[in-house]
Amino acid sequence: MENNDETLLKVEHLCQYFPMGPGYDLKAVDDVNFEIKKGEVFGLVGESGCGKTTTGRSIIKLYDITSGNVYFKGQRICAGVRSYKSAIKAAREECKATVAELKKNSRAEIDGGADEAEVKTKYDALIAESRDKCARIVAENTAAMASAKHDHKYCDKDYASGVVAQLIAERDAELADCDDEEEREKIAREYKSKIRIAKNERIVNSIQMIFQDPIASLNPRMTVRDIISEGLVIKGIRDKKYIDEKVYAILEKVGLVREHADRYPHEFSGGQRQRIGIARSVIMEPELIIADEPVSALDVSVQAQVINLLNELKERLGLTILFIAHDLSVVKYFSDRIGVMYFGKMVELAPSDELFEHPLHPYTRSLLSAIPLPDPEYEKNRKRFVYNPLAEHDYSTDLPTMREVSPGHFIYCNQAEFDKYKAELDK
Amino acid sequence: METKETKLAVRNLKISFRTDSGKVQAVREINFDLKKGETLAIVGESGSGKSVTSRAILGILANNALKEGGEILYDGQDLMKISEEEFCKIRGDKIAMIFQDPLSSLNPIMRVGKQMTEAMLIKGRLSQRRSRKDFNSMLSRLNGCMDSARGKTPEACAKNKELCKNFDTFERKHLELEIAYLDARENCTEAISDIEDILFRIEKNAFDGVVRDVKTAIKRAEKSRNDFVVKDRAEELAGLLFTLKKLVQTPVVTKITNTAKLLLRRNSKIVDNTDYAEVAKTLASVKAILDEAASFDEPNFFSIGYYLTFSGQPLPDMPVKELNEYLHKYLDDNFMLEFIKVAKEGIIYSAKNATERKKAALAVIEREIGVFKSEFERADAKAAARALIAAVEDGIDRLETVKDNIAYTFRTSLRSAIHGYYDGIARNAKEEKRYAKQTASYNKKVESGKTPEWKVIDKDLVDVEGARGGIVNLIERIKAKYERDIEKFADTDFDARAVDMIDYLKLKASGVAHKMTRAMAKARALKLLEEVGIPEPRKRYRQYPFEFSGGMRQRIVIAIALAVNPDILICDEPTTALDVTIQSQILELINKVKEERQLSVIFITHDLGVVANMADRVAVMYAGKIVEIGTAHDIFYSPAHPYTWALLSSMPDLDTKEKLEAIPGTPPNMIYPPKGDAFAERNKYAMQIDFERQPPMFKISDTHSAATWLLHPNAPKIDPPKIITDRIARMTRATELAKNAESVNSEASVEAAEAVEKHAEAVKSASGETVEEPNVILEDLKRGIVDDTVNGDTVSTDETLATTDETAKDTKKSTARKAPAKSASATKSTKTTAAKTTAAKSTTTKTTATKTTTAKSSAAKKPAGSTAKTTTAKKTTTAKTAADKPAAAKKPAATAAKKPTAKKTTAKATEPADGKTDGGNE
Repeated sequence: MENNDETLLKVEHLCQYFPMGPGYDLKAVDDVNFEIKKGEVFGLVGESGCGKTTTGRSIIKLYDITSGNVYFKGQRICAGVRSYKSAIKAAREECKATVAELKKNSRAEIDGGADEAEVKTKYDALIAESRDKCARIVAENTAAMASAKHDHKYCDKDYASGVVAQLIAERDAELADCDDEEEREKIAREYKSKIRIAKNERIVNSIQMIFQDPIASLNPRMTVRDIISEGLVIKGIRDKKYIDEKVYAILEKVGLVREHADRYPHEFSGGQRQRIGIARSVIMEPELIIADEPVSALDVSVQAQVINLLNELKERLGLTILFIAHDLSVVKYFSDRIGVMYFGKMVELAPSDELFEHPLHPYTRSLLSAIPLPDPEYEKNRKRFVYNPLAEHDYSTDLPTMREVSPGHFIYCNQAEFDKYKAELDK
Repeated sequence: METKETKLAVRNLKISFRTDSGKVQAVREINFDLKKGETLAIVGESGSGKSVTSRAILGILANNALKEGGEILYDGQDLMKISEEEFCKIRGDKIAMIFQDPLSSLNPIMRVGKQMTEAMLIKGRLSQRRSRKDFNSMLSRLNGCMDSARGKTPEACAKNKELCKNFDTFERKHLELEIAYLDARENCTEAISDIEDILFRIEKNAFDGVVRDVKTAIKRAEKSRNDFVVKDRAEELAGLLFTLKKLVQTPVVTKITNTAKLLLRRNSKIVDNTDYAEVAKTLASVKAILDEAASFDEPNFFSIGYYLTFSGQPLPDMPVKELNEYLHKYLDDNFMLEFIKVAKEGIIYSAKNATERKKAALAVIEREIGVFKSEFERADAKAAARALIAAVEDGIDRLETVKDNIAYTFRTSLRSAIHGYYDGIARNAKEEKRYAKQTASYNKKVESGKTPEWKVIDKDLVDVEGARGGIVNLIERIKAKYERDIEKFADTDFDARAVDMIDYLKLKASGVAHKMTRAMAKARALKLLEEVGIPEPRKRYRQYPFEFSGGMRQRIVIAIALAVNPDILICDEPTTALDVTIQSQILELINKVKEERQLSVIFITHDLGVVANMADRVAVMYAGKIVEIGTAHDIFYSPAHPYTWALLSSMPDLDTKEKLEAIPGTPPNMIYPPKGDAFAERNKYAMQIDFERQPPMFKISDTHSAATWLLHPNAPKIDPPKIITDRIARMTRATELAKNAESVNSEASVEAAEAVEKHAEAVKSASGETVEEPNVILEDLKRGIVDDTVNGDTVSTDETLATTDETAKDTKKSTARKAPAKSASATKSTKTTAAKTTAAKSTTTKTTATKTTTAKSSAAKKPAGSTAKTTTAKKTTTAKTAADKPAAAKKPAATAAKKPTAKKTTAKATEPADGKTDGGNE
């Protein structure tokens, strides 16, 4: 996994706020940054309500993000405008303040007996400069905002037109190579349907989601075949036979049998339903799967089955998985890198072994101290460590940022804490 | 653990559900005890009957449930047989439950606060009334006995009556004082912790909500005034609190501007003029006073109550310690010693009488039991039962504070058993009639040339003989119990019992005095909400369930269950939906409450990490039966049942790297429960016997037993899967390391660590070797068991068992040698036996069998023992004789009569195994 450095998903300053009433927002996700490499499993942990699921849903565009960017395969798929807006506002206010200050100063100098004209020219120049600066910032941000809005809204269209253009180029090349009239017609017909589908192609289709609750996430009135093939149908594929074959293949891949295709979800056990959920997401041939607590609602034995299945699919199909869960032993077992979230912020990000060996952030420590293990002796002596942000950090003078303590190990801290952690790590 | 009293006993519980497709047997004859202050965890997959068991205990089974038999004994009652009204008194009050799904267990249209206080208010009044009743009846019974013990002379009676009356009066005074004290004291300690928290926040400049908290702290501090808490410095405290109140009061102008700002939806900050430095200073001095008050000793209110009631003087002014001693002496001299003496006499009198009556009851039992030993007439049975019940109930010592389950439930058990017997007879007759009628009409149709579309339903007969046996058992049980009691009478410590009696009366009296008002209930609910980790409880108190997230809802459900101070708490997967931090908070909370109130907990879950944390004992359930039960240490360090292994190995821990071993397949359909071990189908260690007969409970140690044939002395020794042995080795290493770390000598600890490591490696290598036996050896086991059945007598077959045991050992040796040759295929060959059987049926013919023999003999040559010789000699024989070779050859002593059966079955057993091994070799 390590030798592949291609970044599949990049999340930059992701913020997702929900308006909660006059004057304040709920900051569900606040300034989160991370990258997922191709073929890796990235685990996201934290207590309930810390914004893990919201992060996942924001990435797949179930919400319109407030600010920040999400890049998938190098293309921006989500972009928010709040940061630009606030930058413009701040610039304007700053400009207003400087202008007022300058005017006050000039008046003072004139009152002090300086030459009026001279002072005026001097200060007019300064005022103009600051106004210029403001205008420049505003223009920059407005442009960025426009591009962000465009990308956020039309990323699928851009992607589709790219694919269509590529297909057309291919077709033309093949047509140029071919002389036979009949053959040419056949190629044209083939490409026509391909292009029709490509027109509806969406880049977000390459990201699929597995939901937490296998009962609530399956429509009880649809057969398993309908559920699994729904994505293909929406994509524009009309070939029934092709769809059926694909459904059967996928069913077998996830450990079910053909006969299950015509049954309804209620006829299955919890583990089997979760398999259907997985089949539904895998049939779209995604490159990234966002697994939102796929095993939390299952029995231990079934949990093991589903985890084994995901592992197998990952190896066979080369999937990249964003694995959201709160069961740390499962996350540790399954993920290559882990990000720990606390109240909308990413507080620590490290390779999974590193994180469990050297947890640095006090919240991570408290989280690790809460894991129950199947060992009565250990459990008797386990001391849970309570995290109290007020007692742990002093951010009154120096605000925290994400810093890299050791290669690949990031932590949300300020300079003083950074030095402390570093010393701890060296020990 | 052994000395603790049993709170709840489940005996042979059997529950089924009527469904359209048949009778689903959810729970099949399970037995367990729950001791006081103990946590019993029930583990298993969904559908294994865990929840049904707990629901049966709480009497909330679904309508289609059939209580097919068994008893749940609690507090002198059989919960399977009491009426719904009686159950109402127990449910929620004595036995509370935390449900799995918080959403469906909360009322959506009631505010959370109301739901929390509702039970407290209702149950509070109820329990007050009941305590009053218990107290009065026990005291009057004691009084009666005391009178009788003293020969019922008028002056003795008068004296006794006065004693009891005095006890009653001053006990009330005692409680009044104690409750006031406890209240003040609690408020004092809470105010201290509040103030500490506020000071910390002021220091950190986090002023949000400080003002409100200061106000609560003030209220609490005000309530801490009491003669024994804040007494001397009360004036000073009041003055400080008054200044503090002034400090945190928001001026009217600020209030108005703040409201305006909120209304105008401005983002600007709300004005806060409070002088926090001053507040902190005042709070610190308040805290000093409270700290001093909290450090006082607790006075003995029992004696104070007596002194205040009867001496007619105010309390002497002296330090609490001396006061305690002085008053204790005063109480002893004036009242207590005499009361204890008389009470003891009364108790001895009652116990003696009870013993006499028990002897009489035994005589009655001797006489009447004969009626039930053979077929009996209804009138006889009725008369006998009446006599028995009267005799047995007469034998109960009513002055015993702990009710004895067997004697108290005798009436209901016997009546329902007899009723069941007659019911069975009547139903059987009806069934026979119906069957005859249906068969006749079926045959008629067939005779007339038609093929009917329906089938004749089989007779569903009740085992009448079994029912009668049940009645006899019931009587024998009470007989044994009474005999034991009579023996015990001689060495009873009556002083201790007298003290117990006084404690009991005190407890009941406190139940009377504990009034629950609306305000108190609210305060308690708020405190509970805070305890279960819900921030801003005051705000939450007035919200509806839908306004909470899943985790929050679950915490509310837990708070409701804890609100009524239950005796037994049943937790049905309470933390499955919560994340780790909250989960461990909740578990800590349950553990804390358990310690404080000596609560017994039944904890149902499938998360073994949680079980390790909570449980004192663990019961593993599968397909409606308990397959393994033992202490947490037993289950996690030496699991014995394959299902426990499977459960343990299917969950990853922090060090797991290898592929998880999921349990293949699904649990069996309980409409047609399997004949043998229910787990055999999914068990890769299953032997032939597992498919044919249900394993009994094998006892491993005093606390640990498991139901698997692997524990039979003839069974091959199979080690648990590697993933588990590794984990156990790791766990023991970790514990020992931790122990060593505590010891001062660091060198020694390093050595020890190395030793432990070596040990772990040894365990590892051992586990590597011995995985592949089951197939080869099952024939021996099979033989042993078949011999058992042939003789129909388990004891006399010891000889045969011994010989087969030897054979088993030999075969094991040869297999161990063979191991390297087939090491690659070894694991494959241990796939489920179900697969094996089918494979064998289709493929094994003479040729494969002969091949196997060759393979085996070549392997067996190496040891060059007698086994090798016999094998080579038999090389050319046919498949079937070859197959039963090891056993037959090594058993010259086996009788000729046994041989045919043994031969046949062994062959059947070996065939599949050999076939598969062969396949592996190819």
